[in-house]
Amino acid sequence: MRTRDARNISQGHAVGRRSRKVDGPGTICSGRRGLGWVAGLPGGLLGGVLAVCLGAVLAPEIRAESPSAQASPRSVLLATTTSVRDSGLLDVLLPIFSAQTGIRVQAVAVGTGAALRMGAEGNADLLLTHAPEAENALVASQAVSRRVEIMQNYFVIAGPPEDPAGVATSASAVEALARIHARELPFVSRGDDSGTHKREAALFRDAGVDPHARWPGLTRTGSGMGISLQVAGQRKAYILSDIGTFLAFRERAGLVALSHPEPDLLNVYSVLLVNPVRFPRVRAKEAGTLAAFFQSEIARETMREFGSAQFGRPLFRPLAAQLSSP
Amino acid sequence: MDPLDNLSLLAITGRTLALCTTSLILALGLGIPLGIWLGGRRFPGRRVLLGVVNSGMGAPPVVVGLLVAQLFYRSGPLGDLELWYSTQAMVTAQVLIALPLVVALVVAAVASLDEDWALQVRTLGISPLWRNWLLLREIRLGLLAAVIAALGGILSEVGAVMQTGGNLEGETRVLTTAILMYTRMGLFESAYALAAVLLGLMLTLAGLLTWVQYGEKR
Repeated sequence: MRTRDARNISQGHAVGRRSRKVDGPGTICSGRRGLGWVAGLPGGLLGGVLAVCLGAVLAPEIRAESPSAQASPRSVLLATTTSVRDSGLLDVLLPIFSAQTGIRVQAVAVGTGAALRMGAEGNADLLLTHAPEAENALVASQAVSRRVEIMQNYFVIAGPPEDPAGVATSASAVEALARIHARELPFVSRGDDSGTHKREAALFRDAGVDPHARWPGLTRTGSGMGISLQVAGQRKAYILSDIGTFLAFRERAGLVALSHPEPDLLNVYSVLLVNPVRFPRVRAKEAGTLAAFFQSEIARETMREFGSAQFGRPLFRPLAAQLSSP
Repeated sequence: MDPLDNLSLLAITGRTLALCTTSLILALGLGIPLGIWLGGRRFPGRRVLLGVVNSGMGAPPVVVGLLVAQLFYRSGPLGDLELWYSTQAMVTAQVLIALPLVVALVVAAVASLDEDWALQVRTLGISPLWRNWLLLREIRLGLLAAVIAALGGILSEVGAVMQTGGNLEGETRVLTTAILMYTRMGLFESAYALAAVLLGLMLTLAGLLTWVQYGEKR
């Protein structure tokens, strides 16, 4: 066998050579096709490379980009619903806040469901969500120390312009959904435990439809609002949407708003302060400052104006300031 | 509302490059010695390790992202490091995604080396450092394949970096996560611009590496 010959020869050679000792006794082709001669490499080189790599990780230019690496207390982690983030409102609001206070806001856009979960586990300093019932449950569980309603708008039921279910002529949103369900017309659901999905489920429940049940016509996207609206457009389906995302996508999706503002479609956005007593890592002071900012006159003015330039109408209505900061 | 100005486009691109370079250096620095070691030596448990590496090659990045994010969360085991939603967390995920690719490709390159060649080198009686240098030269095509594979995996990753970095403006926003965000916002023009930059980067880098590869072969 060739390999055995090779091994024998290699051992034969090694005997008379100084280099043998670096190979080490156990490393000389101990397997069938071994290349044991690289013995000297891993230990020293791996250690050296590891050290270099650790240095690279902590390289100053990378480090400068990450405020958390500096353990700076002047930053705050805001877990926000995607609809607010994607509307672009925070891009306008947060720079004003940072300029005023010097506090940097790390805004992470996740679904309302995920944001609430982050709050429940102390993984964020404050939350911006739109699911009042779930929010109040968090307050009750004391994961959140305070809930402040900051702004509102109305959900819309959007659909194809032909409106086969007659949503536009329905007396209420609940009746509209009942009609869509009764006629098994196409309906697209977020299906992602977002704030919008939670509201949709509540409306269906009021219409006597089990929101977890499947029915012909129902499509669950499990995706964000924009993608869901486009799916609805493709399928000429009805869909419940927040107004901001709907306006951004209506032309592309070819959908029109069919519902009218009514209490059942009220969409209230709140700021939730994660409880610093329960979660000591929470940056309570900065979070409180940001919560107070959301209620400030300049923030409310910004909310009031936001969207007018792009959509010809404002997207949010700021709410009267509640109790001022603690 | 100005969705994407040139300055932020530049910043996002620069950050993407800085992160990719860091992750690539780490993945190669760890992966090449590991690959040489795994490819060239025989020891008990080697097959198990190779199995781990091979399944790591197919590890869904989104799972890596999920686990790394959990690791760095405040409520996670490394919460004290205060590295949640940081570039460091992103680099960790990217390295974990690219490392198995590098190791597996280096193992394959080393394992395919001719036995006689190894014998010849051994009989030269040169220092281990020099021998390893000869080995690296010998497997340089395999190394380039490893670099390109790792670069592709790192540069195009979106799920894991979104989960670990959070797409924070001015901090952890990279090309892929920004594309996803602008698509979600319905701002497709900005998404297209970023996509063009990302494609351009990948083509340039892959082209450069291929050029190096051919230069070497000549």
